[in-house]
Amino acid sequence: MKLAEMRESFNDFWSEFKKEKTGVIGLIFFAIFLFIVIFEPFLLPFEDANTRWRDISYWEDWPKSAPPAWTNWFTSEKKSVTGTLTEYSESSQDMGAMVMKEFVFEYDYQYDDAPNDIIIHGDASGQPIVVVNIVRPDGEEIEVFQSAYNAGERTKDIRISIDNSSRSTIYNFAKKYESSENLSNVKQGLIKTTNGIFSKAQEGILRYPEPLKGEYQIKVTAILRDETDNMASPYIVLPGKVSGVLGTDSQKRDIWTGVLAGVKWALLIGILTAIVSVSIGVIYGVISAYLGGWKDALMQRIFEVFVSVPLLPVLIVLSAVFEPSIWMMVVLMAMFFWTGSVKTVRSMAMQIKEETFIEASRALGASNFRIIFKHMVPILIPYSFSSMALFIPRAVVYEASISLLGLGDSQIVTWGQILSDALNSGAVLNGLWWWVVPPGLAIAFMGMAFAFIGFSMDKILHPKLRTR
Amino acid sequence: MSNNKYLVEVENLQKWFPTRRTMGEVFKGQQRYVKAVDGVSFKIERGEIFGLVGESGCGKTTTGKLIMKLLDPTGGKLIFDADDVTHLDKVGLDTYRQNVQMVFQDPYASMNPRFRLRDVLEEPLIIHKKGGTKAERMEMVKKALNEVRLQPPEEFMVRFPHMLSGGQRQRGATARSLILNPKMIVADEPVSMIDLSTRAEILHMMKTVQRELNLTYLYITHDLSTARYFTDKIAVMYLGKIVEMGVPNDVIDNSFHPYTKALITAVCEPIAGKVNRIKEVPIKGEVPSAENIPQGCRFHPRCPYAIKECWEKEEPVLEEVEKGHFVACRRYKEI
Amino acid sequence: MEKTKMTDERNILEVENLKLYYKVSDGLVKAVDDVTFFLRKGETLGLVGESGCGKTTTGTALMHMPSPPGYIAGGKIILDGEDIVPLKETEIRKRIRWEKISMVFQGAMNCLTPVYTIGKLMTETLQEHRAFSQGEKASEFSKSRKTPRKMNKEEARKIMVKYLNYVGLSEDILRRYPHELSGGMKQRVVIAMALFLEPKVIVCDEPTTALDVVVQAQIINLLKELKEKLDLAFIFITHDLATEAEVSDRVQIMYAGRIMEIGTNQQIYGEQGPMHPYTRRLLEATPRLHEEVEELAFIPGTPPDLLRPPEGCKFHDRCDVTMEKCKTEEPDLIEVEDDHYVACWRCRK
Repeated sequence: MKLAEMRESFNDFWSEFKKEKTGVIGLIFFAIFLFIVIFEPFLLPFEDANTRWRDISYWEDWPKSAPPAWTNWFTSEKKSVTGTLTEYSESSQDMGAMVMKEFVFEYDYQYDDAPNDIIIHGDASGQPIVVVNIVRPDGEEIEVFQSAYNAGERTKDIRISIDNSSRSTIYNFAKKYESSENLSNVKQGLIKTTNGIFSKAQEGILRYPEPLKGEYQIKVTAILRDETDNMASPYIVLPGKVSGVLGTDSQKRDIWTGVLAGVKWALLIGILTAIVSVSIGVIYGVISAYLGGWKDALMQRIFEVFVSVPLLPVLIVLSAVFEPSIWMMVVLMAMFFWTGSVKTVRSMAMQIKEETFIEASRALGASNFRIIFKHMVPILIPYSFSSMALFIPRAVVYEASISLLGLGDSQIVTWGQILSDALNSGAVLNGLWWWVVPPGLAIAFMGMAFAFIGFSMDKILHPKLRTR
Repeated sequence: MSNNKYLVEVENLQKWFPTRRTMGEVFKGQQRYVKAVDGVSFKIERGEIFGLVGESGCGKTTTGKLIMKLLDPTGGKLIFDADDVTHLDKVGLDTYRQNVQMVFQDPYASMNPRFRLRDVLEEPLIIHKKGGTKAERMEMVKKALNEVRLQPPEEFMVRFPHMLSGGQRQRGATARSLILNPKMIVADEPVSMIDLSTRAEILHMMKTVQRELNLTYLYITHDLSTARYFTDKIAVMYLGKIVEMGVPNDVIDNSFHPYTKALITAVCEPIAGKVNRIKEVPIKGEVPSAENIPQGCRFHPRCPYAIKECWEKEEPVLEEVEKGHFVACRRYKEI
Repeated sequence: MEKTKMTDERNILEVENLKLYYKVSDGLVKAVDDVTFFLRKGETLGLVGESGCGKTTTGTALMHMPSPPGYIAGGKIILDGEDIVPLKETEIRKRIRWEKISMVFQGAMNCLTPVYTIGKLMTETLQEHRAFSQGEKASEFSKSRKTPRKMNKEEARKIMVKYLNYVGLSEDILRRYPHELSGGMKQRVVIAMALFLEPKVIVCDEPTTALDVVVQAQIINLLKELKEKLDLAFIFITHDLATEAEVSDRVQIMYAGRIMEIGTNQQIYGEQGPMHPYTRRLLEATPRLHEEVEELAFIPGTPPDLLRPPEGCKFHDRCDVTMEKCKTEEPDLIEVEDDHYVACWRCRK
C-alpha cells in the first residue's frame, strides 16, 4: 500500500517535472555525473590515479604542463601528442655466450614539433645490457643508448629516458650536418635531444630544426649474458608537447583523470554535507520558530554562537588533532554549515506557523511533533533542496580550502585539491588555463545541476507557486 | 449523555492579551491588556445553531477559539456537556477535541496545500487513532464525503485543495470536522469567502447535516443576513461583550440595543430606489481599540442616545427584557 | 448595442468589443470577451459578478494596465472622446492614467507602505503625478525647460488637505502612520489619492468588501457625496448585488467574461425584477435581512473553466430555463427596453 502510494506520487511528480526544462537539464547533468562515477574504472585513462595521484614516480613519464591535445586543431603547427607505443616485433638471436633479444617499435611521426622525450620501459631481471637504436626515415641509424642494468633476482621495471642519456650522442650526430657558425651558438648541454632525432639532417638541425616526418623505428636490444638475465614486455612513452583530453599539470599529472576521479568525491562531500547540514538546519529552524518564546530565544542564541565561530580555524585545529579524512571533513562541515539555513527557515516557519491549516491541525488535536514534521517541514522541502544545491559547491570549495592548507584527505583526489595545486604552482600566472578551468567548471556545473533541480522541484512541490 | 438541556455554557468568559510594555510601564510594574473578550456569558442548547455576530475586532473569533480551546481563557468558566472544561489536561483535551470541531473561514488556507483531500480528512482519524487500518479509515473518509455531498467521493479524495472550487473546499473542510462524530462544530465565517451563488448551497448543506446528525453549531459571522437565515439564536457582540441576544426575529426586527439597530440600518439590501439617498447611519466613527475600553457603557462614545449616566454609572448588564430576548442597555425602553 | 446609444455625448466612457486575454501554458483564457458598454457623465455603473467573471480585469483594462500575462486583444476604450487602446504606455502615463481615469484597487488600503506617514505617502504620489502633468504643460510653453518643476511642500500640502477634506478626514492624518488608522480611514486615504489629478472616471474595485457594515455604509455615502460634489463618474466593482443596489445608477452583470445584463437600478432591483435568469437567480441567492426565508436559493454548479468555456451561452449548463438554442449559439447583448440590455435567448420577443 505504502509503496504503491509512493510510486503514484512519484509518477505525479515526474510527469510535472518533465515539463520543467531547466530541471531536466539539471537532471541530465546529474545523470552524467552519476554515469561517470559508475563507469569510472572504464573511463579513467590512468587506472591507479585514485591511489597514486600524489605519487611523483607514477606520473614521471608524462609531459609537464602540456596543453590539451585538441589545441592542435586550432594551430597550423601541429605539436606532438603524447603517445604510448606498445606494439613491437620481437626477435631473438642466440649467440652462444649471450642471447640478443631485439624489440622493434614503429613510430609514425607526423608533427611539426618533436616530443619531449622517448622513454623506454621494460621488465628486466638479472643484469641485461640494453641498447637503443633509432632508425630514421632518411635511413640514418643512431645508437642513442647503451647501458648495463643490475636488476637483481626479481623482475624489475627499468626506465630509460633518452632525453638525458643521449644528449651528447645526438650532438655528435648533428655536428656532422650543422654549420660551424650555428654550432658555436649552441651549447652541447642545452640541446633538446628529441629535436635532433626528429629533424632533417641538414644545416640548422640544432638551431633551426625542420621536422623530418615519416616512419621511425626504435630498436631496443637486450643483451642477455646469463640464464637469469631477461628483458620482457617493453613499451615506449613519447611525452608530447600536448597531452590528453585536458592536458597535464606542472607535476605531469593528467588533469582529465583528476577531474573524472574528482566527480565521486565532489558528489559525496557535497551531497552528504548538504543533506546533513540542511536537515539539521531546517529541523532546528522549524522547531525554534514553532516553540517560540524563551525557547526560541535560547535556540537562537545557541545558533548565534555557532555562526560566530569561524569555521576555517576550527577546521584547521580539528584536522590537526584528528587524522584528516573525508568523513571527518563532512562531519565537521555539517557541524557548521547547518547554521546557513536556520535564519531563513525560521522566518519561513514563522509564517507557516500562522497559516490557518496549522491552527486547523491544532484544533483537530495534532501533537507538536505531528505539526512540525507532517505540516511544516514538508513545506520547507523545496527550499531545502534549493539550499542544498547551494551548499554543494560551498562544501566542495571548503574542502578545497582545507586541502590548500595541506590538511585535506591525502588519500583522494578532489577538484578542490586540483585547484589548490594549480593556485600553488601559479597556474594562472603561467597561463595554464587547462589546469584551472576544468575543475572550476566542474564545480560550477555540479552546483548548477543541483540548483536547476532544486528550483524546478521548488516550483512543482509548492502548489501555491503554480498557476494561481 | 447527560440530560442537561444545554451543551455549552459560557460564564463570564474573558480573554485578555497583554500588550508589549513600554520602558516606563516596566519600571512601574504596570501591564495593559487588550481585552478581546471581556466577560461573555451565553448558553447553547443541544441541536441549536447559535450565531455570534459582530464587526471585526469585537471578539467573536476569539470567543470561538476559546470554545475550541485553541486559547486559554484569562477568566470565567466554560462548561461542555455538564463538564467544566475551562482548564483541561492532555487527556481531557484529547477527548474534548473529538467532541468539538471547527470549520474555518478560508477553506483553502485551512487545508495543507500538499495534502490530498483524503489525507486532509484522514488526519483527524490518525491523530485520534480511529480506524485500525488504512482501508477502514478510507471508508470513513468516503462516508464523510458522502455526508457533505461531495460525490462521487473517490473522485474528490485524490484531489489537492487547489483543484477544488470554493464551495467544494468548504464541503471538504466540513467533512473533516464531521469525521470524528463531534457534538459541536464551531464555524468561523464559513461562507464569507465563497461566491454568492454557492453560498446558500453551503449553508443549506451545513443545515442538513446539522439536522441529520443532531449537531450543535456555533456560527460566527459578521453578516446579519445569513445569520438570520441560518441560526436559531443570535448574540450581537461589541468590543468583547454581548450587547443583545435572542431569536433572530426578535434581534433583527425588534431590536432594542442602539448598536444592533445601527448594524441593521447599515446592511445593504438589494432593493431599488436607494441610489440617490444618503443612508442615515445613526452611529459615528469606528470601533475603538480593545486596549482602551470606554468607561461605563462601552458603546456610549458612539451612541446617539447616550446620556450622562451611561458613562458615569457602571456598565449595564445583559438582562432578559422579553422572554428569551436579552439586552445590555439602560435606556432600551426609551429609544 | 446600437450605435446611437454608444455615441451619445452624455457618455464619458465608451467600451466597444473589448477583449482581454491571458496567455497561459494551456491556452488562451478569455477573461474579458467582447464586452461593450458605456458610462455616462456623473453616474455610477455597477459591475457585478462572481469571482473570476472578469470584472476586475475589465477595470484594469480601462486603466490600460492589464496584469501580465494579460493583454488587450482588441476593441476600443473611448475615454472622453479618445480611443486609448492604441496609445503608447508613455502617452497613457502622461495624459490618461490618474489624469482622466483612476482606480481604487482591491485591498489598496492594506498596501500602504507601513514605514511612511500618510503625509509622505500622499506627497510622493502627488509629486510623481504632478511632475508628469506639469512636465507636459511646461514643454508646451518652453521647450528649453528639461526637468519638470517639482511641487513645493506647501503647495502639495494644500492639495492634500483639500482632498482629505473631500473624503472627510482631518489634516492631522498626514502625520500618522498607516497602522494607526482604521480600515475606513485608510480606504478614505486611498480614495483621496485617486482624486488627486481630478480624473473624470474612478474605478472602485471592491472598495467596501473588507470593511465592517457600518464603515461600509459610510464609504458608500462618501462615494455618493463625491459623485455629487465633483461630478465624477464611477465604475463600482463588487461581487455583492446588495451593495450595488445602494450605489449604482445602472448595474452591469458579468459572467464568465461576458456581460449578461445591463439595467438601471429600477430595472434590476424594482418590482419587475431582472430579465436574465442569471441575474434573477443571483438576486434570489442574495440574502435579505428583513425577509424571513425558509430556504435560500442558490445556483447549483460552478462557473465554467475559462480555458474550456462551454458552447453557446456560457450560463446554459447552470440555467433553469435552457433551450436547445442556448447550447449552440451565444446570444449577444440586445436592448430590450430603454437602457435595459440583456444577452439571453429567452428574453427575445
